[in-house]
Amino acid sequence: MKKVWHKAKPDLFRSVAAEIDVGYHDLRVVIENDVVYIRGSFPVKDDSGQILDRFLIEIQFPDDFPNSTPILRETGGRIPWFSDRHVNRDTGEACPIVPEEWLLRSDRASIAAFLAGPVQNFFLGQILFEHGEPWPFGERKHGNDGLFQSYGEWVGAKEPAKIRVYLEYLSRESLKGHWECPCGSQQKLRNCHLEELVELRKKIPSWIAKRALQRLGFSHK
Amino acid sequence: MNNNEYLQKILAAQILGDESAEVKELQTERANVEKLLRDKFGATPTIRYGGSRAKGTMIKEYYDLDLTCYLPSGSDAAGESLEDIYNNVRKALEDKYYVDPKTSALRLRSKEMKTYKRDFHIDVIPGRFTDEENKDCFIYQKSAEKCRLKTNLDVHIEHIKNSGVLDAIRLLKLWKVRKVLHIKQFVFELMIIKVLSDQKAKPLADQLTYFWTMVKDSNDPISIEDPANPNGNDLSDAVKSAWPELVAVAASTLNTIQNSGWEAVFGPIAEVSKASVVASAQRAAATATSPNRPWCQNA
Repeated sequence: MKKVWHKAKPDLFRSVAAEIDVGYHDLRVVIENDVVYIRGSFPVKDDSGQILDRFLIEIQFPDDFPNSTPILRETGGRIPWFSDRHVNRDTGEACPIVPEEWLLRSDRASIAAFLAGPVQNFFLGQILFEHGEPWPFGERKHGNDGLFQSYGEWVGAKEPAKIRVYLEYLSRESLKGHWECPCGSQQKLRNCHLEELVELRKKIPSWIAKRALQRLGFSHK
Repeated sequence: MNNNEYLQKILAAQILGDESAEVKELQTERANVEKLLRDKFGATPTIRYGGSRAKGTMIKEYYDLDLTCYLPSGSDAAGESLEDIYNNVRKALEDKYYVDPKTSALRLRSKEMKTYKRDFHIDVIPGRFTDEENKDCFIYQKSAEKCRLKTNLDVHIEHIKNSGVLDAIRLLKLWKVRKVLHIKQFVFELMIIKVLSDQKAKPLADQLTYFWTMVKDSNDPISIEDPANPNGNDLSDAVKSAWPELVAVAASTLNTIQNSGWEAVFGPIAEVSKASVVASAQRAAATATSPNRPWCQNA
């Protein structure tokens, strides 16, 4: 049986615990049934470091951390489970970021970066929303529309069908010049966007492209 | 400012005045709950405040309102057995609320689409008085070894109110909330009162460090008894299950105080005022180093 991440990577676990210990006195690391959680009161800070507000949170680490995005929940009952508040109605899981956007980050193994980035941004947005203000950085559309929006920005396309082909090509082991270009020109890849795809592959590893396809409900070939 | 003055300021910031938006919302919702129960069960139940509101231990950061809904002894207006009463009160509340059933209480959340599962911070506790004096009461205990618990609201309220350590209780409640410790609040309060029984005259900072030290250094879980039913209600399991977590967090809190001072435990006094929250949040967003947009799986 595959070891859970905190046992397979004890150094990573220690570094997560140390990040919490140093930066967040009201959060603590808990292991329950071999699942790692961070629980406690999260301080949302302003640009001068003053505390704007606090939210009770739980962060659940996936079994394959850091290759999947941590799951955030607000546990104080303050934020409704409603899509306009970016909380999944069935599970109460918050969606502070499209998960694959987080996986693309080089610091995805840092829980401090997750807290200072998507978590802080999410709660800043919630505070402003409660005061009738717009989301400070905008918001993704809900469901697959939002995923296509996000993945489309990676590959520079807007149409879902094209984005899907880009993701399929990116998810493969290698590119073949005789494939039809995903841009829709009907030309062979070698005569069209091959160079751009080669560049994209440097930024988007195939396993992340596969995850993106799976999240959209497509199984990669 | 010394440690005790600092702690008093932290306490002052946690006061929920009667005019606060939170208390007003609670009172409005309380009226809705009472109407719902009266419509269903008539004038028969005694509906009263219990919990932190009655005991004076409410804090702003995590407040809730306990509402007891006790039927007279011998009344079957809400059902014959305690379990029937619990279930029928639950059904009545479900007309308007999403009801989260806890061991003895029914937690009320919103069932409206746009505010789904938002917490109203109200617990309704159904029960039935044991006799015509309307003091002792039996409450139902869902999925517990003992399916009924004898309790007495007035005894509980008086025990806490007259404990002489209300400030310590409120600060330790804040500590418990921020650390998300899984110990029942009432059990926790009884533990604080017992541990601090001979420390009442000490300054607040000393009381807190004494409490954490006693927890950290106790070989066994601290034993407590329920003043409403000292020989009948065994609270040892409730203490035992929470004990390892409590010991670990008490020890780490003492370390934090030693290494970084009290402010690392309870935070700065001056948090941003409500009036300037929007401007401050917008400024914080404008200077964010890695902005991103939220998403939602539900279409």
